[in-house]
Amino acid sequence: MSFDLHRPATVTEAVDLAQRFAPTARYVAGGTDTVIQINRKKIDPAHLIDVACLPGMSEITETADAFALGALTKYRSIETHPAFRGNLRVLLEAASVVGGHQVRNIATIGGNIVNASPAADFVPPLLALDASLDITGPKGRRSVALRDFIVGPGRTNLSPVEIVTSIRFTKLPARSATAFLKEGRRRAMEISVVCVAACLTLEASTSRCACVRLAIGAASPKAFRPEQAEGYLIGKPAGNESFAEAGRLAAEASSPISDVRASAGYRRGLVAVMVERALTTCLQRIREQNQ
Amino acid sequence: MSAHTHRVAGHRLPRRDGVGKVTGKHVYAADFKLSGMLYGRVLRSTRAHALIKKIDTSRAAAIAGVRGIITSADIPQIRYGTAVRDTTVFATDRALFIGHAIAAVAATSLEIAERALAAIEVEYEDLPPLFDPEEALKSDIRIHPDWETYKALPIISRNRNIAGQARIRVGDAEAAFAKAHKVYEHRFSTALQHPGYTEPRVATADWDANGIVTVWCNTQLPFDTQTTLAEILDLPAARVRVTVPGIGGGFGGKLRIGVEHFAALLARKTARPVKVMSTSEEELTAALPRQASIVLLKTAVDKEGHLLARSGRIIVDCGAYAGSGPGTAAIALQVMAGPYKTGALAFESVAVYTNKVHSGSFRAPAGPMANFAMECQIDMIAKDLGLDPLEMRLRNVVKEGDPGPSGEIHRSVSIEECLRKAADAIGWHDRNPEPGRGKGIACSWWMTTGGSSGVYVKINPDGSATLVSGAVEIGTGAITGAAQILAEELSLDLTDVNVTGVDTQAAPFDYGAQGSRTTFSVGNACLAAAAELRRQMFELAAEQLEAPIEDMKLQDKHVVAGNKSISIAELARISRLAGGGLIAHGTAISPAPAYDPTRVQNHPLPVWNTPSYHAHAVDLSVDQATGKVTINRYVVAQDVGYAINPTYIEGQIEGGVAQGIGQALSEEIVYQDGRVMNANLTDYKMPTAMDVPEIESIIVECRSAAGPYGAKGVGEPPCIEPPAAIGNAIAAATGCWPNSLPMTAEKIAAAMQVQHS
Repeated sequence: MSFDLHRPATVTEAVDLAQRFAPTARYVAGGTDTVIQINRKKIDPAHLIDVACLPGMSEITETADAFALGALTKYRSIETHPAFRGNLRVLLEAASVVGGHQVRNIATIGGNIVNASPAADFVPPLLALDASLDITGPKGRRSVALRDFIVGPGRTNLSPVEIVTSIRFTKLPARSATAFLKEGRRRAMEISVVCVAACLTLEASTSRCACVRLAIGAASPKAFRPEQAEGYLIGKPAGNESFAEAGRLAAEASSPISDVRASAGYRRGLVAVMVERALTTCLQRIREQNQ
Repeated sequence: MSAHTHRVAGHRLPRRDGVGKVTGKHVYAADFKLSGMLYGRVLRSTRAHALIKKIDTSRAAAIAGVRGIITSADIPQIRYGTAVRDTTVFATDRALFIGHAIAAVAATSLEIAERALAAIEVEYEDLPPLFDPEEALKSDIRIHPDWETYKALPIISRNRNIAGQARIRVGDAEAAFAKAHKVYEHRFSTALQHPGYTEPRVATADWDANGIVTVWCNTQLPFDTQTTLAEILDLPAARVRVTVPGIGGGFGGKLRIGVEHFAALLARKTARPVKVMSTSEEELTAALPRQASIVLLKTAVDKEGHLLARSGRIIVDCGAYAGSGPGTAAIALQVMAGPYKTGALAFESVAVYTNKVHSGSFRAPAGPMANFAMECQIDMIAKDLGLDPLEMRLRNVVKEGDPGPSGEIHRSVSIEECLRKAADAIGWHDRNPEPGRGKGIACSWWMTTGGSSGVYVKINPDGSATLVSGAVEIGTGAITGAAQILAEELSLDLTDVNVTGVDTQAAPFDYGAQGSRTTFSVGNACLAAAAELRRQMFELAAEQLEAPIEDMKLQDKHVVAGNKSISIAELARISRLAGGGLIAHGTAISPAPAYDPTRVQNHPLPVWNTPSYHAHAVDLSVDQATGKVTINRYVVAQDVGYAINPTYIEGQIEGGVAQGIGQALSEEIVYQDGRVMNANLTDYKMPTAMDVPEIESIIVECRSAAGPYGAKGVGEPPCIEPPAAIGNAIAAATGCWPNSLPMTAEKIAAAMQVQHS
């Protein structure tokens, strides 16, 4: 293992460096995944372009109807941000179960997304919020929906020279709540066996589901939205019966693998249980808001 | 001296090595560096069982910076091992597991050493492998075709793939089964568990101009390492010097030689200091983990739940070499007998070779495996008989003077007290406070390992003492415990006792930091040294004070005789001028208790010294849908004989329970077709601080005859009962026992599903 370390001052400089040293260059931010991959000899970059200190990419910006999270935002910043204690709690809940304190102090949410692990904890919450990504590359800027960005395990539609600069999503309407659940063999420093993010909006004057977005991690080659389960719930009364059916549909839509962490069958069972529980939590939270 | 008069022993004093360790000043073996040092790495087999047809190191040797490469062809052809001398430094003509050492490289940097490993070409011819120990018992494949030519301890009974087989037989078990009210048979299995020390195994070796090799390493047994290294290097022991700067945890995983031999051989080859440190991957594929095991247990009871007879077999999977497997398997027999009166016993242990990693003596070897089977079965029987599991235990536990499995007599017995205290603390009267929540209990006994200890104690001219011991401070505070005993006996403060590091060239022999014996045995040696120092000081003081020796005592760092006194410091200065200084050699050995040898066959540890008794109780909840376990409370009542330092006893209990929770719920080195599937700390799941509840320790003191101030061994027991106590609590919560470790959420969910269908 040996590499040249580059410290660009701007995104443009970073992209220029990546172009110059492609294909042996690699961006690194928190390094919590890249360094492990280097140590385990999964990758062997000759050039590391350290983007951790690029200006303007660590801010959490709130506008009237949306949030923008800089790609270099640390989990710790999400965990402690007051804006995510309300109906965007899914972000706080996911951020607070990534790794341990040391990891959350250094790892970036952008890194988690571009790493595109099927078990990435921060991807399902952003999928459930219908987030999109701002990307800068040699040809300028572009924007892409997160659900189109990740194409498979470890694979995205990002070119090696492009950088994700921020993640955007719109605020939720009234009578909405979110929740995140994670199952693993231990309570910290754990990779999800299954994780589930849910975003539920009820109709204005009924307890029927107006909008449902579910996202499931570690149960398919990439985190996914179980559209049948979501569609099933629209217009249905929110409650145990409909949530259990949504869980069943989500489990049916999942395609988990068996590995050293869990069997496919157990994972599928977890999807059903966790979807139901995440929705139940959302419903409770909406009711608490109205009290 | 009685406990309440002790000024130093029995008190919660800070350990002597504490400040250095929490401030980062303490030098561990991994920190150790020498100028001009090379870095060593080991090439490991990628085949589980194969003939090695050719090893070509020429491409590797040509890499700039590579200073030396060794293979089996370059070193003395020695087989070593504790019970069976079956082990070689490198694979010789065949590789026996994936991870088996094939060659070692020393280079000017780790990166170059790793490049060189990749450049070594090994030609293999695969042989049919054996991964399943039960299959290995039946198979015609021989993992060691020359097993009959190996030397072994005379007590060890071997046969083909069986590295050791022991028996305990008491009474007529078959007759008891035939007329019993009920007979129960169950099968349990346990998994391969890494000791989980923080500091990997590491050694730096350097040869001096006189041909003496010094090895700075983190072994728990410096003298055993010295002996083994001398054999491997084909040198007299005095030409091997082993020294332990500091050790970042061991838990039995650093008893036997790990990387010291690679460092010493590479240093000899290159004439440069060489450091070898294992990687996480090597730790999980080629260290000395706790053996996986299978326990078959059959128990006969009467209507009241009295144990009439037990028979059983433990199959211990040693991996490619016997390691501590034969002893571990044999010790399981005493654990399976438990602290119970049983009419008849017929137990057998089998240690079996397979094509997997060789294994070691992780904290309380065999304890948790055998106890998991034995104590879960007690609960299964109690449930079937409609008895309270605590009541069933109380009906069967041994009392003062009862015979143990080997015919020895149980003395200073506290098992009933431990059980009642643990049960009371956990709130046993309410075993199912809510659906999905249950409480479990388990108990055991365990030995205080014998072996001799020697210490030198010197009184310095300032009146302080220096304690030179061959025992390593492994991180438990054990040496501080011994120092407390020394300070007590010499009327000093604990801070007056300086403890040196271990160096086999200078320190007296010690059997090592193993077997819950360090404070016990080094403490006894300190008692002896203190007695000798008192004799020397009183003799000298008699001249100075003109007072009779019979009137003298030590008090507040002075020799006092009536109204006359002289300070220890003054005596030390006088002795320096006139008598070569105050110095004593204290020794200790605990003779094995009397037992009935007709009961025990081929057992390397046929009878236990100074056993301790203990009980664990746990309150936990099980998620009825996912099987996930949440431990609400955990209580340990442990008889320590006499608590020399309650703080570090609690530390031992908390640490042992944490490891036990790992073994119970999450830890497992997973093999598939001979390959470890989780050779990293991402997927090898030791519990984190988030997974371990606050452990409530109840220290029971039932004094032993042999220990210092009545102490018993403390270190190993806390990790014995957690799997059984947790298993029984899971059963209380769900109605089913997952009979295999680790009891993962997935296994528990599957067991619940079977129960419901």
